[in-house]
Order: sequence, then C-alpha cells, then structure tokens
Amino acid sequence: MSLLSKLEETLVCLKAGKVTLPYPAQAQPLPEKFRGRPIFDATKCIGCAGCANNCPAREILVFDVCQEVRILQYLGRRCTYCGRCADVCPEKAITMSQEFENGTNAIGDLGQRLELFMSTCQRCGRCFKGPSVLEDLKMKGYRSDDLQNERWIFRSRAFLEEEKTVDDIQIELD
Amino acid sequence: MIAREMFEKFKQRFGPLIERADLPSDRRLFVFVDRSVVKYVCQHIFRELDARYVITIGADDRPFSGKFLVAHNFAFDKDHLLCSVLTQLPADDPKIDSITDMVPAASWAEREMRDLVGIEPVGHRYLKRLVLPDGWPENNHPLRKDVPWNEVPVEFDPDREFRFDEPPEGCTVVPFGPFHPTLDEPAHFRLYVEGEMVRGCEYRGFMVHRGIEKLAESVMSYNDIPMLAERICGICGCVHNVAYVQAVEEAAVLKPPPRAEYIRTIMLELERLHSHLLWVGLACHIVGFDTLFMQSFRIREPIMWIAEKISGNRKTYALCVIGGVRWNITPEVKIELRQTLDKLETEWRAVVSAVSKDRNIQKRTWGVGVADKDLVKESGLIGPVARAAGVDIDCRRDHPYAAYDRVEFDVITEQGGDVWSRLLVRMKEVFESIRIIRQCLDKMEVGPLQLEIKDELPIGRMGLSSVEAPRGESHHFVITGENNRPRRWRVRAPTYQNLQAVPRMIKDQQIADMTISLGSIDPCFSCTDRLETIDLRSGVTKVWSQEELLKLTRAKKV
Ligand code: SF4
Ligand code: SF4
Repeated sequence: MSLLSKLEETLVCLKAGKVTLPYPAQAQPLPEKFRGRPIFDATKCIGCAGCANNCPAREILVFDVCQEVRILQYLGRRCTYCGRCADVCPEKAITMSQEFENGTNAIGDLGQRLELFMSTCQRCGRCFKGPSVLEDLKMKGYRSDDLQNERWIFRSRAFLEEEKTVDDIQIELD
Repeated sequence: MIAREMFEKFKQRFGPLIERADLPSDRRLFVFVDRSVVKYVCQHIFRELDARYVITIGADDRPFSGKFLVAHNFAFDKDHLLCSVLTQLPADDPKIDSITDMVPAASWAEREMRDLVGIEPVGHRYLKRLVLPDGWPENNHPLRKDVPWNEVPVEFDPDREFRFDEPPEGCTVVPFGPFHPTLDEPAHFRLYVEGEMVRGCEYRGFMVHRGIEKLAESVMSYNDIPMLAERICGICGCVHNVAYVQAVEEAAVLKPPPRAEYIRTIMLELERLHSHLLWVGLACHIVGFDTLFMQSFRIREPIMWIAEKISGNRKTYALCVIGGVRWNITPEVKIELRQTLDKLETEWRAVVSAVSKDRNIQKRTWGVGVADKDLVKESGLIGPVARAAGVDIDCRRDHPYAAYDRVEFDVITEQGGDVWSRLLVRMKEVFESIRIIRQCLDKMEVGPLQLEIKDELPIGRMGLSSVEAPRGESHHFVITGENNRPRRWRVRAPTYQNLQAVPRMIKDQQIADMTISLGSIDPCFSCTDRLETIDLRSGVTKVWSQEELLKLTRAKKV
C-alpha cells in the first residue's frame, strides 16, 4: 500500500519535470495589468491632488511653494502599489508600470517629484470633481486632522518660506 | 422570519430587560440588553439555543452616546442568523460581567477588550495582559477615542519584563518560539513538559500587533481601509478586504451589482485554492516530506499567475471598494482560468490519490492534535479544524454572501478531529473550490462592476459580515461614523479562536507533535495580532536593551 503511494508520488514528480525559471537571468513576462511602481507624468498632471487624497498609504503629498508652482511629491516609501491613485486621476497622469525590482538602500530612491505650473482658481484651487460621493468628500480636503495625517492641505503662498509645510517632506528631500 | 422568531424567544424569556432590538434583515439580529442580564442572555443563547460564539467587541462610544458599548456576537449556523447582544455601559463605570464561565471561548476577546478599551470583565479568571506591550502603562487604553492614534504614553517603560506563569509541579519548561523554523510568524509557546509529554503551555503572542483598527478608525477613510484590511493577512488578504467591504455595505444598506458579487466569489475561491495548496505543502514540510512540499507549490504557482492576470498582483488583489469591485474578468482571462483549473484538477487528483495512502504521513498525523466536537463548541473553533471534527459549519453555506447562494457545493467534513482529518478536509475542499469557480464563470452576467453611491453613508449603523477564509470564519464588525470613516471596526480572524484551543490540542502529546499540531490550524499570527501601537521587543534579550537594539538596526540602514 505504502509502496504504491510512494510510486505515485514519484510519478507526480517525474511528470512535472524541471519547472524552475532561470530568474533573474530571465524573467517571466508580466501580465499587462501588472501593478508595479506608479509613474507620474508631469505633462499630464493638473495638480488636482485627487491621488493624494485617495492614497491609502498617504504616499503622495501636494503643496504649493508659491502662487504658480505646486509640488507633487510621491514618497515611494510604503506605497503598496494598490493603484488607487491611477484609478482616480482624471487626467490619466499616473500609470502603474511594470517595475517591480525596486529594492534599494536609500529611502528616497523611489520618490518622484513633479513641479507643476499652476493657474487654478484662486479661491478654491480645485478643478476636478470626484467620481463618487465618497471620493468627493475627500477632494474637499476640509478635514481638521489633515495636516497631522499627512493629508494634503491647501495652502497657497505668494512667496517661499523656510518653514516646512509638512514635517515629512524635508526628511524625504535630503 | 427566523430573526423575529428568535427575538420573540428572547422577549418571552427576558421580557423588560431587553431594552430594544434591531432586525435589519432576516439574517441579522441586534438586541440591546441591560448589563445585569447580559451574562444570562449569553448563557441562554450559547447553551440552550446552542449558538456558536463568534466574538466580543468593546467600543468607546462616549463621544456619541456618552457610553461604552459591548457586543457579544453569536452565530446560529443552522438558522442562517448572526446575532449581536449589545450592552451599554456608563462612562464612569465601564464594567461588565464576564461571560467566560458560560462561554469559555470568550476568554481572549474579553482580555483584549480590557487591554484596548479598558472595559473590565468582572469575574474573568485569568486577566493577564494579552495584547498590549509589556511596558505599556495600565491606565492607557489605545482604542479609546481620547487617545491619539500615534501616541506613545510617557509612562511607557521599555524595561518592564513579561512575567511568565509558574509551570506545574514536576514539569520542565521548553520554550517554543518566538522564532521557530516551523512558525512563519512570531509567537511564543512556553511548553510544560514531563519527559517527552507536553502537559500544558502558556501562550504569549501579539508580537506583531500593528494598530490597524485604531488607524482605520482615526485616520483612514471608507475606501482606503480595504487596501489596509488586505494587509492584515499575508495569505488570505482578500478575505479581509471583502469582509470589511461587506460589513460596511450591510450597515449602509448597499447592494453591489451581481457581476461584482461573482467576481468576489471567484477571487475568494482562487485565494482558497492557493492557500490550501500552500498549507498542504507546509504540512508536508513540517513532517519532513519536502518532495510533496515542492510539488504542492509547483501546482499552486499557476493560480498565482492567473490571479496576477486578473488583478495585477499575485497576492494582494486590492479587489474591493465600497459598492463593488475594481477588476473585471475578461473573456480571454475566463478561458485561461478554465484551462488553469482543468490542469490543477488533474494534477491535484494525482497528489491526493498518492497522499491519502501514504503511511509515513498517516503515522505522523493520525490521532495527533485532536480537537473533538466538545472542544469545537467550547472554544468556538471554526473552519477546517471544526469540519475535521465532524462539525458541519461553513459560512459560505450558512451565512451566504457574495454569490455563494447561487452556486452549488458540498461542505466537506471528516470525523477524526486529528491532523490527518484536517489534511483530508483541505485536500478535498480544493475540488469544491474548483467547482464553485466553474459555476461562477458559467453564471456570471454582464453588468457594471461598481455601484454608484449617491449619498454619504449613514452614521451610527452597524454591520456584520462573516466570510469563510481558508482557515475558518473571518468576522468583521463595523459601526459607521462621521468624517467618511467607520467609528469602530473590529476584525476577528479565524486564528484568533483556533489558536486559543492549541494548548488543549497538544496536551498529553509528544513534544515532537507540537509543530504539526500547531501547523494544522494553519495559524496566521499577523491576523490574530492586528493592532499593536508600539514595538514589542522589550524583554526578549538581556544583552541588548531596546534602545541599543534600535540604535543597532538604525545604524545598519545607512
Ligand atoms: S499605488 Fe496606492 S499606495 Fe501607491 S501611491 Fe498610488 S494610491 Fe498610494
Ligand atoms: S490625480 Fe492625477 S492630475 Fe490630480 S494631482 Fe494626482 S496625478 Fe495630478
């Protein structure tokens, strides 16, 4: 009885043959939908901060350095590659790329920084409506706990200040 | 009408002591009772009506109602009913009678409630700290609303050590864990052994407690949390993702479109497939049969690939948002999925036929780690552990969600209650999962993937959701709240209940069987330890203090 089962098990192994892939020498092709590191396209982005407000990991910060320049900072530290930012972006400025070999020693390596020239509404600074009410609620950015939670907070400044907008940014910049 | 009938029964029995009740649907029952009778109500439900204990939840409701809230959840599996017994406690006196004398399974949940919310279970016999780190001050309860989510109390004392219980007389202590080759995640068992026989053990876990619930309740928003919930578990993440979303949907009375429900079902079953194959592999690995470990993993791999094709990731599908799903199953993927399933079925059949006769595996697993029907009832065991003991429960059938009410499948049970039976149950469930996916692919209708949500979600509503994870029932409880986020979200992962029974499963067994007994519940410690707020390295070693360790690790980084 037991011998028979051993034979059957051998058969299972023999039938399988060699299946190990020669990775990293040769990588398995990735499916089209693969969600790798998000890539931000500065030419498309309108700086609406929809992505920042919907990122579960709070990986995207948007802040203004002066009236005309808005910075979108993607930190790339604990991004989970969930793709929510790409989902909500109205301009399709974010693509989930095929990059997955992202191991690095320096925490800032994966970050991206866009400098956006703005000519948005001076009063509300927004130009984008969320696809659903839940999302809409977040687009308004009115929550009192915003700053502390790395939420994007709207603050337009006519001149550059020394003081940091959010503590985190400076750490990531150096 | 079962919810109403049940409620009538309670009313007859307890009359005016039932304050009010809420019957949102025929499968849910919320009863609010006075705290003086909560113990008796629970006893009645658990003993006389023979319900299954699910979980106890403590919540700080003071900012809204001025009271604390305790919920004891029970499941009437045969009647397809989930029932929650709720009690409000005054803000200045958060005490409630412990139900552990009648419902032993509530032990951990009550200890956790005391640690995190500061509700005292009066009459609990073993009130040792369970969840919080050893150095955490006594009077700080992180899940209270007045505690900020990122606070480290000033009184935190990293040098305070954990005090172990005294071993019984004549026993030697053998430490098992926190890091052990057969444990994938940290947990510490202090085994009391007499010769080769294990006589008892003390469990110390919650070492990777990550504060997920607090984070969700104070920082994140409804549609962020699914991505966080998914990271509760490294193997059955999609389960938590779906369970959370369903709980919110239930609270807000939203019904996702049918296609979304089918897709949820398919992804959940894909997850079960890869999880069961992984478990069979690991079980073989634990008993020293690495050939089959390799083969299981080989057979499992195509499942990961197809999941990647559908969702963009092998494991973290990021599937749900409130009111629907994010990924579609296209006709091309459908064809490929069918081919993958066919191949899997043939290959798995060969493995099952070989393994089910293998003497070596049988010798290592027969009569080992037995959990009988009694233990299943007392400890609230679930999933394959319960089914292997002949207890016929399965949330997919008993509390149908997603599209499970539209597919046919069998609930696999065995009678032995030992590790061998669990192995058989899991091996056979693979075929049922394949069957379910095939039916879903046939029946799936075209249509939208997401519900359009027009209004803000209502506030202060409760939702329950039970999802059958590969390891057992995963239960989520949500109270909706302000600011686009839930007020309270409680996750009860299957290992939370199953792990509590391990000390009784390994009692009077050879110490060498410890590993497979523990392995057989398919433990998932990160699920169990959802909510730590601070590093728990204190007291592990005397050579390095926590400070020094931190310095050391930080120095290495640069
Ligand atoms: S992929 Fe997800 S976690 Fe990463 S930046 Fe986008 S939304 Fe945030
Ligand atoms: S959502 Fe798109 S357009 Fe808006 S800030 Fe982000 S990347 Fe730019």
